[in-house]
Amino acid sequence: MKLKHYIILLCCGGLFSCNKIIDLNSESNLNTSTYYSNTAEVKSALTGCYNGLQSALYNEWRFTELRSDNSKMGVTGSTSNINRELSDLDMFIPSPSMVDIFNYWRANYNNIRNCNIILQKLGVVYNPANGTIAFNAIDIPIAEVDRKQLAGEAMFIRAYHYFNLVRLFGGVFLIHQPIAPTEAPGIDRSTVQDIYKLIEADLTNAASSMNSLRFSQIPTVDLGRATRWAAKGLLAKVYLTLGRKPDAITQLQDIITNSGYALQSNYANVFSITNEMNSEILFAVRYKAGGLGLGSSFGNDFAPLGTGSTVINGDGDGWNYPTAELDTLTNGDNRKPTLMSSVGSGTSLRLYVKKFLFPVTLANDGESDWPVLRYADILLMMAEAKGYTQEGLNMLNSVRPRAGLPNYTMATITSLAQFEEALSQERRVEFAFENQRWFDLLRYNVTMTTVNAIQSIRNHYADEYAAHYSTYLPPTPTLAELQGYITTQKLLLPIPQREIDTNTQLTIAQNPGY
Amino acid sequence: MKKIKCLLFTLLMLGSVAIAQKKTITGKITNQSTGEPLQGVNVLAEKQKGGVSTKVDGTYSISVDKTSTTLIFSYVGFTTQTIIIGDKTSIDIALVEAIVTSEEVVVIGYGTQKKSHLTGSVSKYQNERLDETPVSRLDQALQGKIAGVQIQNLTSEAGADPKIRIRGVNSFSAGADPLVVVDGHPVPDGLAFVNMADVQSVEVLKDAASAAIYGSRGASGVILITTKSGKAEKPKYAVKFSTGSKTQYQLYPMMTVTEYTNMLFYEAALKLKDPSITPPTASQIASNNERAAYVLENQILGVATDWQQEALRNATVRNLQANVSGGSRTLKYFISGAYQKDQGMMFHSEYDRFSLRTKLDAELTKKVKLSFNLNPSYIKRERPSVNFIDFVRFQSYLPVYHNEISAAFVNQDPLWVNIRPGDYAQARHFNGRVYSGLMPDGNLWTTNSASSPFNTANNTPKSVMDTRTINTNDYRLQSSGDVTVNIIPGLDFKALGSIYVNYSTGLDFAKRNSNRDGDVNRGVYTNQFSTDVLSENTLNYTKKIKKHSIGVLAGFTAQQTKVKLDRQVGLDFPSDNIPSFNTALQIEQPSVDANGNLLGTYTFSYREGLLSYLGRVLYSFDNKYLFSASFRRDGSSKFATGNKWGNFPSVSVGWVLTQEKFMQNVGWLSNLKLRASYGISGNNRIPNYLFEDLLYGANYPLGGGTGVVFTGQVPSGNVASNPDISWETTKQYNFGLDLSVLKNAISLSVDVYRSKSSDLLLQQPTMATTGALSFINNIGELQNNGIEFELTTNNIRTKNLKWTTAANLSQNKNSLLGYGGVPEFFSYGERSEVYLSRVGGPLVQYFGYKTDGVWLSQQQINDAIAGGLTTNLSNVFVPGGLKLVDVNGDNRLNEDDRVITGSPYPDFTWSISNNFTYKDFDLSFMIQGVQGGQLVNGDPNYNETKRYNKTYNANRWISPMFPGDGKTPYSTVGFNWMLTDYVVEDASYYALREVVVGYTLPEKLGKNLGLNSMRIYFSGQNMFFSSAASYRGINTEARFNSGPYATPLADGYQRGSFPTPKTFLFGIDVNF
Repeated sequence: MKLKHYIILLCCGGLFSCNKIIDLNSESNLNTSTYYSNTAEVKSALTGCYNGLQSALYNEWRFTELRSDNSKMGVTGSTSNINRELSDLDMFIPSPSMVDIFNYWRANYNNIRNCNIILQKLGVVYNPANGTIAFNAIDIPIAEVDRKQLAGEAMFIRAYHYFNLVRLFGGVFLIHQPIAPTEAPGIDRSTVQDIYKLIEADLTNAASSMNSLRFSQIPTVDLGRATRWAAKGLLAKVYLTLGRKPDAITQLQDIITNSGYALQSNYANVFSITNEMNSEILFAVRYKAGGLGLGSSFGNDFAPLGTGSTVINGDGDGWNYPTAELDTLTNGDNRKPTLMSSVGSGTSLRLYVKKFLFPVTLANDGESDWPVLRYADILLMMAEAKGYTQEGLNMLNSVRPRAGLPNYTMATITSLAQFEEALSQERRVEFAFENQRWFDLLRYNVTMTTVNAIQSIRNHYADEYAAHYSTYLPPTPTLAELQGYITTQKLLLPIPQREIDTNTQLTIAQNPGY
Repeated sequence: MKKIKCLLFTLLMLGSVAIAQKKTITGKITNQSTGEPLQGVNVLAEKQKGGVSTKVDGTYSISVDKTSTTLIFSYVGFTTQTIIIGDKTSIDIALVEAIVTSEEVVVIGYGTQKKSHLTGSVSKYQNERLDETPVSRLDQALQGKIAGVQIQNLTSEAGADPKIRIRGVNSFSAGADPLVVVDGHPVPDGLAFVNMADVQSVEVLKDAASAAIYGSRGASGVILITTKSGKAEKPKYAVKFSTGSKTQYQLYPMMTVTEYTNMLFYEAALKLKDPSITPPTASQIASNNERAAYVLENQILGVATDWQQEALRNATVRNLQANVSGGSRTLKYFISGAYQKDQGMMFHSEYDRFSLRTKLDAELTKKVKLSFNLNPSYIKRERPSVNFIDFVRFQSYLPVYHNEISAAFVNQDPLWVNIRPGDYAQARHFNGRVYSGLMPDGNLWTTNSASSPFNTANNTPKSVMDTRTINTNDYRLQSSGDVTVNIIPGLDFKALGSIYVNYSTGLDFAKRNSNRDGDVNRGVYTNQFSTDVLSENTLNYTKKIKKHSIGVLAGFTAQQTKVKLDRQVGLDFPSDNIPSFNTALQIEQPSVDANGNLLGTYTFSYREGLLSYLGRVLYSFDNKYLFSASFRRDGSSKFATGNKWGNFPSVSVGWVLTQEKFMQNVGWLSNLKLRASYGISGNNRIPNYLFEDLLYGANYPLGGGTGVVFTGQVPSGNVASNPDISWETTKQYNFGLDLSVLKNAISLSVDVYRSKSSDLLLQQPTMATTGALSFINNIGELQNNGIEFELTTNNIRTKNLKWTTAANLSQNKNSLLGYGGVPEFFSYGERSEVYLSRVGGPLVQYFGYKTDGVWLSQQQINDAIAGGLTTNLSNVFVPGGLKLVDVNGDNRLNEDDRVITGSPYPDFTWSISNNFTYKDFDLSFMIQGVQGGQLVNGDPNYNETKRYNKTYNANRWISPMFPGDGKTPYSTVGFNWMLTDYVVEDASYYALREVVVGYTLPEKLGKNLGLNSMRIYFSGQNMFFSSAASYRGINTEARFNSGPYATPLADGYQRGSFPTPKTFLFGIDVNF
């Protein structure tokens, strides 16, 4: 063998360039260390945060509508895990290990993380000590006006998640910047006040950072993004929840005067899939049909089980049936056909939630947006803030004409109690199945004197017991047991057991009663 | 000089004598085991110089001196035979292969070694009749054949991958499957595509010292597959054909709805006789829905459907192969082709394989050798779209198709007016109706409200199965070429280039209305293209100096894998009959689910690379003292810069006592060797890029109208990255003993090992407040201890009758040594059953409530409560329900009373094979078993299986007066079974895995037909299968390994298993 032969052989061996073989990065995905370097990239990260709203919303109705007096679990005889858990929620006996609770928790914190990353990249720093937000210098080439607008949207989304979390779980974990898995166990639960401090700071800053365009001035392409008005509306609800009515009124008045939002003349048009992002929608979680993975599953989730394709393509799951009380309450109300419908007759009649049910080509791929904040809400919040006054009544009356209902007057409503009952029922029907009822009931404990959550749920059990709860498989609860399940402590959901178990450094306190 | 003269004289004298008294003897020498003629056998007459050797056809002719009384026949690898000549002129001999050839060579990775010089723990399986085993895959055929290699058929679906563990489990989340190397090339699915008949031998590197030469991928053991090569002989042709059928060993004993309702009424009649209870009122005997189902089956439709039978068929298996091999000294070839059809027992389940193999070995010059290997294969697989459990749990009242009667019945409901006879019957058609009919007690019953016998939106399993087909096609090509150059005597340079290509294309097509009514038709088209390129360059030096024998290996290898995946999802096709993507009305867009899985239409690609330097020294002195050391340094793309490289050294020694002088007198001892080894091997099999946070698509519609989709990017919500991750390492000691006695008639190998795996890569759960569920980390330590025995005996060796036995037994015990400072943690199964990992115990233990039969009566419960027993659990105090044990004696039944109820790991696994040969007949059978260990039976998960399966109802509690056996709870009451030891069952079994009965045509007869040999055989699989008495299912081996069970931390769960197959095969094997 000559030298050249060895050289040829060695070259064969050296065909691979060493470093190229093992210095590999993902070729199908971007990574966090190189992304977020310009406006377009931060914007697409923010789009990801809007997307994150969908997975959080997916489970929300289970804790807000199903637990309220608006709806009940449809499939009582089933022993499948998913149906069992829904029934347990419906009866206020959820276990801390419940999958749906954890999934909801996880989706919220996942999106909070996504917002935190953006805010960090934009130099937005929250100081938990004094509840202020600072805009620090950044090295990304991004115009100040864009930075403020993008940060405002991210702050809105973060506040939205925390507002839901604090109302459902109480003092949750205050995570206001990206944290590493190793840091997380060192952080304990915060107080309810501290969470609200962040929410207020976020919404106040969001409102002041974002542009002040009226509804009609918003570029079509931006419809669906958070706005100054959405931030103010949410802030008003926060203030109401905290019992700060004057602060709420300030925000609401600004919206009513300056936002340019208005009621739709026809209730059905508010939710129509051909009229999305109409003048009444301050903020909605948006869905899009067409096999994009962005469709809404609520049409199928809420349609009656075992109806084949007669109600909706791909059948229904029967998870969320309207209560008989709501059925009665809406008789003669123009809003009813939008809210619910029924299949069968006589003994086999079944009511179902229809608000988000439009024909779908694919199962679980609906078009309907889910309204988070509507102008009707602004008006009715104003009514709540103003209380039993002529102004309050005027606000309450503002949504009644399109429902085909007569206006209330000081003559027809003669007491605070009647006003509160009327406002409560008005909101209940107006926002039925929009995840408002449970939060309303909780808030009434603060803003009202005569309507409260526990009594409403107990009444609801009494109404539904014979036809519904008594048909559960053994061990069937008695009505007294059922009414006993709902207590002040059970107004909060349990902190997911997994979060408590995963923390190996601190002993995380479970909510009392679980 | 004088001596020479003397010698010459003697020679002349002898010669003249010989000339005077010679006789010619002729004959033919054959191989006793194969019947083939042997060429080159030395034939020598006693006391006579010179000999002859046999010709190609095995014949010889020798002239012998009349004074010679015996002829000696000798041949390498065969036992030498001495025959007394007497007055014979023709002597035919069938030579017997030597039992243990001390020169047997074992493949050890990047080389071979004499078996006698082995110092590590390497098991070799020499392929003889592996392809007569009635299974479709090589790994399945190896079940039970090698000590320490546990192969378990997790499902009996055609073509499914079995689970393979070598010396237990030594990783939490990185792949725990052994590395599979086919002819030097590590390929992930080598056991799936290699044709059994092409296999020459399978070697398993079990201890870390042997596997360390594979470095970062050796920790779970290495399986080396060596394929057949040609020999320097005339072309030999072989054709094999076999065919047979496969049926289920047993089915679940399910009751029809009628049987079930009759049972309920019978039980109610008994309850009436029991004065200690309030007799059940009519509505308590059976629920309205159960009664409705009874009326439907019994009075309206009149037929009960056996849904299990609707899923199953008598399946056909078929196997055809042909090969030709031969060659000259300078060019040898082996060419084979095979077709295999393996139908599943379940409809729409099939595994077909076509493969070709060409292997050429050429000696270009005296110094340069070249070999070339080409192995294309094609595997077509169809998988059922429905789990068998869905058939098992389906109620018998529902027919598969509507007939006139049932269609007319459902047409009464306005929702179902369009149903026609012949349409699939669906549960919903019969729901929400008012039913009325006669009950088993003769009374008329009518519902007061609508009843739903089976409240589900899903279609029946049969209709889903028939309307959705899942097909995959794998086109593989493995090809390699290597050049070996002899540089100086003893020093070889070998350069190997190998490429493995797998193009896998699949179509999962669901017709309109397949799963649920109103579903559009949907086609998922997947194309995955993987290429794996390997370059391997080694220098091998061997030298013998006096009693020293040295072998040195040094090498450099580089391997790169590229995978490209395309997936298209088409929706809403105009016709169910043309599942072509171009006709789809919609395309499902890409998206990502909460767990970071890509959905919809997308392409995805990745690359993996591995660079390695390796070296090894083999040394022996006087065949007595043996030493071996190896070293490998691996660099992997899976880790961040700074953590890419790892070192994997090993050392082992051996001592052959029988070579020592002081042992020479021990005549009965043929071989005794002691071995000891220590090595470090690694595991890098985790998903790629876990050292950086990747961004995934999270789009969102914004803008007017229904919106326009904007692109969004977010990090994973599932796993957070960790730039510090690196290798898992396994350090293992192995001590071995090889013993043969009575001229190798009995051989025994014993290996004892202890391994410790540390820095285990774990997706450690993290608080969801971080935005992710887990992050990857190197924590955790596991230990495996074990012992393995391999025994072979030659019981009878006579001319006509031969009997050999091979047995193996292995035991492995693992324990969790550490888990990031956490003393214990739980993993949960699909029904919240708990899998405990407790430091100090085995990796997985079942954790739940201990039960002591059932509560016999309310009185018994009242007494217990009066005695102070309390609980915070629900459904604990129910007569006929499971009676939980207050283990800690605090009079309170709560979470603290949970105890360890079992473990998935067997005490030991074993097998015994026997081979008998009597004249032309042979019989071999293997009994294989697993002893100890438990499983969690998830069948009672479902109300349906619990209610209708006779196993859960026989002798059950009915009332205090009729308590059954006092152990079997009333199925629908009391504490959740899944959380107790009631569902933990003994997983031991033994089975008659294989039986082969063969007949080989006598040689003369074959010759007349123009054949070298011919053989026919019958073989059977699982002719007998014995499970433990406490096991309530139908397939002891089956386990779940997806969903929550994808991790080794939740191991040992089964439900609704596919039945164990029972296969018969007839085969014919012709060589010419």
